[in-house]
Amino acid sequence: MLDFDKLDKAIHEKGRLSIMTLLATRMAWSFQDLKAELNMSDGNLITHLRTLHKLGLVAMTKEIRDRPQTSYALTAKGRVAFQEYLRVLEQIVKAGRK
Amino acid sequence: MDERHRAEEHLRVIRTLMERATIYRAISASTALIGGLIALGLTSTIWASERHWAQIAPQVMRHISTRGFAALWLGALAIVLALNAFFVWRQAQRDSRPFISPSMKLALRSILPCLIFPAATTIWFFYDGYEADNELLLVRIWIGFYGLALIATQHFAPRSLVLLGWAFLITAAGMMVASRQLEYYSTPLVPNLAMGFTFGLYHLIYAACVWKSPVRVGSE
Repeated sequence: MLDFDKLDKAIHEKGRLSIMTLLATRMAWSFQDLKAELNMSDGNLITHLRTLHKLGLVAMTKEIRDRPQTSYALTAKGRVAFQEYLRVLEQIVKAGRK
Repeated sequence: MDERHRAEEHLRVIRTLMERATIYRAISASTALIGGLIALGLTSTIWASERHWAQIAPQVMRHISTRGFAALWLGALAIVLALNAFFVWRQAQRDSRPFISPSMKLALRSILPCLIFPAATTIWFFYDGYEADNELLLVRIWIGFYGLALIATQHFAPRSLVLLGWAFLITAAGMMVASRQLEYYSTPLVPNLAMGFTFGLYHLIYAACVWKSPVRVGSE
């Protein structure tokens, strides 16, 4: 019997799931690149990133080169949470096919 | 929507985003097809022109100048680059995504260092290198470094593109090893055939292999 409560509710939202997926593909993503890739508004993206950051799933680095730039990466906790989320998703899909 | 359908939908989102972020085909099948046809067309034109003039004026060693030969190929390159940019732009419009995507920036950052040396060699060739009929050297550098540029995208390019890069690199290395034998033949025969064989035939084979590929053009 599957326990759907095992699904991490913070990740189980399409916008945040998309962010976590992209962050899982590379070491770090700049805010502008995430925005361009996900086609999200600044406000929407920043809200999701703040939520993930507060939960300790995403790390934030601020740099000043020519202009201030913020980049985001998955924390170790975030990576584990994403993998666990994927595992539970796969179980749900498999269970539904039986 | 029940939980299973939602889970399937989320898995689809993850897969699409992962592919988009991690797989980038710097050369689409359409670009490879058109580029290959242009390269083969140019090779045939140069070959036919040389043959035609050799019959009319056999005492003249060559009829297309060394710089003319390089300029023709650079012209072909400009056309193919413009077409590739158009295909990428069109796909970006269809997907409502920016033309210069993060993946494209990543690809350019990987490819550009491999193009500095051939660019410098080309500039040298137009200034001084042409005087000693150095087309063969120029062509080997173009082919070899183009191969290296494709291989440099191996961390996010599909395997087919990396294999294409290896085919170019191995051909250039082979041409370097066989330098003495190749220089025996009159120019621009060998450089012209080498360009047609690699940029023409290899690209056509690549286009045929990936034509039905599900990976999107340019902004993948």
